[in-house]
Amino acid sequence: MAYLDTYTEVLDSAGAAHLLRRATFGPTQQEIKDFTGKTADEAVQILIANASRRRTPPPPVEMDETRPDAGKPFITKPFDLSRTYTYLNYVQYWWIGLMTEQTGYPSVLEKLTAFWQNHFVVNGSEVQDYRFTNQYLNLLRGHALGNFRDMVIGVTKDPAMLVFQNGDKNSKERPNENYARELQELFTVGQRDVEGNYNYTEEDVKEAARVLTGWQVFNRNKKDSTTFGVQYNADRHDTGAKNFSPKYNNTSIAGRSGPTSGDEELSDLVNMLLSHPQSPRFICRKLYRWYVNPNITQEIEDQVVIPLAAFFSSAANNFAIEPVIRKLLASNIFFDQRNIAAIVKSPAELMIGAMRFFEQPVPDMTSDYVAFRKMMNFINYSINLQQLDFLNQPTVFGSLPYYQTGYSRNWINETTLGLRGSRTDMLVYPSYTVKTGYKIGIEVLERLKSIQPNFSDVQGTPAITCEQVLAEYTRNLFPVELSQAQKDFLIDAIMMMKSSPRMTWTKEWNNYRSAPADVTRQNIVLWRVRALLKYLLRMAEYQIF
Amino acid sequence: MKRRDFIGAAALMPFMLNGFKIKSLDKGSSIVKSLRQTMAQHNDRILVIIYLAGGNDGLNTVIPLEYYSEYYNLRSNLAIPESKVLRLDGNPETGLHPAMTGLQQMYNEGKLAIVHSVSYPNPDLSHYRSTDIWMTGVDASKYVSSGWAGRYLDDRFPGYPEKYPNSEMDDPLAVQIGQISTKTLVGNQQSMSVTLQDPDSFYKLIGEPGMSEDNNRPCCDAGDLIEYIRLKQVSAVGYSAEIKTAAEAGKNLATYPDASAKNELAEQLKIVARLIHGGLKSKVYYVELGGFDTHADQVGSTTLEGNHAILLKKMSDAIAAFQNDLKLQGTEEKVVGMTFSDFGRRATSNASKGTDHGIGAPMLVFGKGIKRNVIGTNPNLINGFAPTTGSSRSYDKDIKMQIDFRRVYSDMLNEWFGSATSVADKVMYQNFKTTSLFSETVQTLASGAWLNPDVWSCGRVPSSKDIIKVNAGHVIEVGHHIVAKDINIVSGGELKFLGDYNVNITG
Repeated sequence: MAYLDTYTEVLDSAGAAHLLRRATFGPTQQEIKDFTGKTADEAVQILIANASRRRTPPPPVEMDETRPDAGKPFITKPFDLSRTYTYLNYVQYWWIGLMTEQTGYPSVLEKLTAFWQNHFVVNGSEVQDYRFTNQYLNLLRGHALGNFRDMVIGVTKDPAMLVFQNGDKNSKERPNENYARELQELFTVGQRDVEGNYNYTEEDVKEAARVLTGWQVFNRNKKDSTTFGVQYNADRHDTGAKNFSPKYNNTSIAGRSGPTSGDEELSDLVNMLLSHPQSPRFICRKLYRWYVNPNITQEIEDQVVIPLAAFFSSAANNFAIEPVIRKLLASNIFFDQRNIAAIVKSPAELMIGAMRFFEQPVPDMTSDYVAFRKMMNFINYSINLQQLDFLNQPTVFGSLPYYQTGYSRNWINETTLGLRGSRTDMLVYPSYTVKTGYKIGIEVLERLKSIQPNFSDVQGTPAITCEQVLAEYTRNLFPVELSQAQKDFLIDAIMMMKSSPRMTWTKEWNNYRSAPADVTRQNIVLWRVRALLKYLLRMAEYQIF
Repeated sequence: MKRRDFIGAAALMPFMLNGFKIKSLDKGSSIVKSLRQTMAQHNDRILVIIYLAGGNDGLNTVIPLEYYSEYYNLRSNLAIPESKVLRLDGNPETGLHPAMTGLQQMYNEGKLAIVHSVSYPNPDLSHYRSTDIWMTGVDASKYVSSGWAGRYLDDRFPGYPEKYPNSEMDDPLAVQIGQISTKTLVGNQQSMSVTLQDPDSFYKLIGEPGMSEDNNRPCCDAGDLIEYIRLKQVSAVGYSAEIKTAAEAGKNLATYPDASAKNELAEQLKIVARLIHGGLKSKVYYVELGGFDTHADQVGSTTLEGNHAILLKKMSDAIAAFQNDLKLQGTEEKVVGMTFSDFGRRATSNASKGTDHGIGAPMLVFGKGIKRNVIGTNPNLINGFAPTTGSSRSYDKDIKMQIDFRRVYSDMLNEWFGSATSVADKVMYQNFKTTSLFSETVQTLASGAWLNPDVWSCGRVPSSKDIIKVNAGHVIEVGHHIVAKDINIVSGGELKFLGDYNVNITG
């Protein structure tokens, strides 16, 4: 098997679900059905093409119904200091809404943007200007499938990044090294290669800091300001030559002066960084960890990372991102059995995945903003509890489970397991109201009715069995197969609570069929099926994908 | 010599104990019994690890007053005014940041030790990598997937987690108050700690046991992950009742910073104190305070204000309240704490009122069990800098390492937990010399002049209160009168007098 060759088998439902779980925040049943029977190539093509459908959605709006400007976009208004953190939340909500919505056109865009957002990290609470955070997010969404070189340059001059990594404080006398280090260590070349050799020196950090002197932001967090952005101040720029180590082939970047000196030197710097042979590998390794498996063996390094990196940085491709994503997601290695269920779901993959899988509709942000806010608040709060905070990661390294030893396992400990369970329980026992007539929760009775032939014909048509109920609720739910022993346990110990024979279910279900309006009879059915659902969503098998 | 070694070896060879020669011992002798009791006492000892995330600026935490003008010149835009530096009893050459009044008092009471200029050979200035080195305890050139405290617990409690909880140890081996588990507490196979945010909600969160005996294990990584998650489910359920019991039985007796101070470290230590008081037998607690990556705006409109001052105040207030709580609980004897951070910061400040990544910085160790207040000496700010890590900026100055942090870790294992030297050597992958943090005895590490601090385990010239031990093969040259509590010269060691000088033994 050539690992990066295109997977040629037609996708069955498990294959389609695998692709959708990884390329998006999790599929709906309908999406799995739609993608079943396609080739990997066709499926990935659709996921990429769909990205253009939501590339420029309407901007975030004020979502507080008690304010006169409710429902109106706030980014273009004079900066409202009193709404600094609320609007940061609304920018998060806006994005999580796009991740969660079920339009029927699943796309790679938000999951890939989330990758870049965890790569080029900016912490919105530290930036303290929601306009900056919004612009930064738009930059990442805009470049997500574009060209990596452009993205590195764009991010370097992005006002939010300039604030977060102190680039705006960096001037020729006693430069601030913060961004210069992370640009190399985290954003492009990586600290070391797989053999453990340093990819750059401390001297290179200092020289890069000199290249990056002169950039400043204006009107950050400034009350009532109507403009904001970046200005380049050539007076603060170090005009001397910058000399790099042999790690960069002793590159010398000529010192320049004048209004375009910053751009010119930045362009040279990024060219130098991307010419480093480790840069494309570093990025491809990280993409592999994100999409395929955090565990990278020497075999994967040789068979996947190195060839993919060669393709990424080839003259023909020239750091275009979309072809790399296409190749990786349609590859043999992506669909290889060993990579199925090889990642622990992040809090977003767990919560947003559940929202999508159980088809919890996202209210329209502009017209139904209160309901939208409530739903996004539920999701955002849930994922924050479980230690993920989009646009607000604790450090420039991003969320810890994307870099620490053990990788995605770090999402799991005694406490987060409890928290994950308590939040999925809320889908099973609906209590959180989004709006009148809409509580977040899994529909039980209607769903069971839909699989019961001739529902009202209790005498003539046999009841659906425990086994059928279990099969319905576990269809495409897990990325791995349950054993017969597990299925028996789920039915006998959980659904029948170790106390009743399976026949009891038939009786109870038929009682309900004969009097569907009888609340007591409804409740008996709900009691059993919810116990089952609660257990299913707390299982280890549901925590991975 | 370590206690366990002693018990094993005592019958075979004579040795020196506080100057008395003891020829032979049998297992029933009173001294062996008393050492056995010491071991038992060690058994309930606790270590609290405080991680200061981001790389704490050592020079503005512990201020070398003896080099004040050099200090000022290195960082005039964030130097603490000399008059504002907090003074330490009996240590006029060193002071503390003005926000650290609680720690000043602890120092003066003998409950705080400053370990100067801590780092490791070939320092790395990446946050991730350097923190990894501190958490794992390996050489800068090596990688390992386990943490130093995790490996220790793995050795001490074999068979974890399968054979636990059991009658010997029915509590978590370690407790982390936080969100995402630290690598420090990862053992050879898995995390040795239970991570919880709040003991009151923990039990509710975990709920009643109800997991199946589930043996289905799919292939490959998926199977490993499922096994891992199931193990965590079991451990959560297994320990939640014990944690609840301890949290309910334990009380905070001291006053902690008010909730309005938003002192997250104090909130965490408050939980730790409650669990200790409630009788939880966990050996290691791990807490964290973030925000130390002060590249810019480390100080405010004056150098007494700003982000770093706020952080140091939080740290100092939290530790002082915690120590006071332990004292009021009567648990003070069995708890020590230590801080660590990613690395130190550059001695020279940058133009944005901040400091970039650097090398050496102080570690703080606190508790009643420490036997000395200072390890090492002030960094020499005249000509004692580390070789600069880049040549282009001649004004860049870095604090050179005096003490390898792994010496402090080894002392925690050997002296505080009382494990055999062989255990610490195994856990730390090599032998690290003691800093004498927990010992009245200062021993020689090499030959040299008495007045050379590098010769001594505590990194400074011994005082008259110290018991001196000259190790085999070491020749110490004495060129002045010396006063010590006691002096032991191990066979093969030598005190070489360069003239007619007195030795005054006060002990």
